[in-house]
Amino acid sequence: MHLGGEMLLEVENLKVQFKTDDGLVRAVDGVSFAVAPGETLGIVGESGSGKSVTNLAVMGLVPQPPGRVVDGKARFHGDDLLRMGRRQLAAIRGHRIAMIFQDPMTSLNPFLTVAQQMTEVTRLHLRHSHREALRHAIEMLDRVGIPSPDHRVFDYPHQLSGGMRQRVMIAMALACKPEVLIADEPTTALDVTIQAQILELMKKLQQEEGTAVILITHDLGVIAGTCRRVVVMYAGRFVEEAPCEELFRRPQHPYTLGLLQSIPRLDEAAGTALTPIEGQPPDLIHLPPGCAFRPRCRFAVEQCARRRPPLEGEAGHRKACFVDVV
Amino acid sequence: MIGFILKRLAWMAITLWVVFTASFFLMRAVPGGPLDQERALAPEIEQNLKQRYHLDEPIYRQYLRELGNVARLDLGYSFRLADFRVGEIIAQGFPISASLGIVALGFALSLGLVAGIVSAVRRQTLIDFSLMLLATVGIALPNFVIAGIMIILFVFLVPVFPAAGWGTLRHLILPGFCLGAPFAAYVARLTRTGMLDVLSQDYIRTAYAKGLATRTVILRHALKGAMLPVVSFLGPAIAGILTGSLVVEQIFAIPGLGAHFIQAATGRDYTLAMGLVLIYTTLLYTMNMLVDISYTYLDPRVKLE
Repeated sequence: MHLGGEMLLEVENLKVQFKTDDGLVRAVDGVSFAVAPGETLGIVGESGSGKSVTNLAVMGLVPQPPGRVVDGKARFHGDDLLRMGRRQLAAIRGHRIAMIFQDPMTSLNPFLTVAQQMTEVTRLHLRHSHREALRHAIEMLDRVGIPSPDHRVFDYPHQLSGGMRQRVMIAMALACKPEVLIADEPTTALDVTIQAQILELMKKLQQEEGTAVILITHDLGVIAGTCRRVVVMYAGRFVEEAPCEELFRRPQHPYTLGLLQSIPRLDEAAGTALTPIEGQPPDLIHLPPGCAFRPRCRFAVEQCARRRPPLEGEAGHRKACFVDVV
Repeated sequence: MIGFILKRLAWMAITLWVVFTASFFLMRAVPGGPLDQERALAPEIEQNLKQRYHLDEPIYRQYLRELGNVARLDLGYSFRLADFRVGEIIAQGFPISASLGIVALGFALSLGLVAGIVSAVRRQTLIDFSLMLLATVGIALPNFVIAGIMIILFVFLVPVFPAAGWGTLRHLILPGFCLGAPFAAYVARLTRTGMLDVLSQDYIRTAYAKGLATRTVILRHALKGAMLPVVSFLGPAIAGILTGSLVVEQIFAIPGLGAHFIQAATGRDYTLAMGLVLIYTTLLYTMNMLVDISYTYLDPRVKLE
């Protein structure tokens, strides 16, 4: 873990729980990571692994109740976001840390025009006048590749296609030149061709602006093309952290290995059976003692059931596993 | 838009004809008639009266005659209030009931919307529970009980309003509140439900992620969507509230339309009852049309066909 002064956002031992009728869900259970200016961090994991909740918690967007941030710190330029007053936090949200969400169909307000939704951000944070804000919005729409932006800006979201809407989301998120962009499954709801375009666009804008990006996804393909560093999440915890290439070439955790092996390959003969990870996704209310992945793990040894493996290893590549799977 | 309105007006004419026909035959199918009194009339007098009101004609002739009159907007003379034309009675009572209704509507909307929004934003708190309990009480308590409480409070204990009567704005406040209270309760519950529904949407999370203040999120991003169910409810509610309430108008001695609805039905006052039914239908239809039109202003995705 780099805990130097050059880090932009440092999250430390973050724990988020949800009270449900069936019991306490430990959605995020002691997660730590840091993002340097301009870098791209990928967070991979299956649905329910806690990757979205981690980032919602950092932004103070976990619905409370039923959620509760029980422990941890999220330092942004040294100030703890989790202990900040509502106004202070609001001044950072959308201005210095912005978010893009998964489903552009539902993440834009259907009752307001693109112009209304875009200008309110810059008018609030950059104190733009109405005209400045509108001009800026049109400029941003142009940069994200929306044709005839000076007309499209007055459209309602339902008049735009899915890919266009996600472009609007990106334009809106980047309108105030944020230092950190949290992209929560930004391409999951889009067609594959559009996915590639959106990822390219994000990469281009990131390079132009020097924005740090936290890219949350369940799609290893998305990670491969965009990230420098990757963390893999399982049942609310990080199970592996590695430089991107390293992770694909030499995965050290059985779960990561399983994920990589379950990807269908083009060079296999048609009809070859896929290699799934056996078993069911974990029940976060009744997690087994020890390693949460043990019930599904081919490599499990006796001590996996007794003790939870800590996340450790050589600098830059760490895993939470007792077994050497390489 | 104009095409939509014309089409709706054509449908309204058809609806009015159906309502007219159904009311006409239903009223005559009920035992008793407008000329029945406690003491039987002499047969000659009854015959004369029947002739005067065309009640001696075969029923299809009566139907066609009255349909023709109504189509020319002539509702005829009231049977029971024989010195008045039905049009005059409505012209006298409707503005009174309507102004009372507008005050009631003002109460219903202002109280209901505020209570509903506050409840939704502060959901699962003491404020939410208290407001919703109050709303349930508002729906459950009959008008005359609320009226009684209001009169005790604001006429006897703190004498700020007159107990009854008509003429000044101060006369409107207490009955307006009593008439509006149950509607306020409905509006509050609908607003709360609508608001909760909208607040759980993804785009509200987006709004918060943009750093907007809670007030901006609620008023700018959530309210419009939350209003849709309330607006649907308001169409029929306004029609009902504007045509007066028997109970409230009786308690506060207000000369509105409310009493006529009951008296026309029990007294078999064919013409007056028909006039009131047609007025109510027209109002209801117009309000529903306005609701549909207002939808297009609230929700850009809605298109009038």
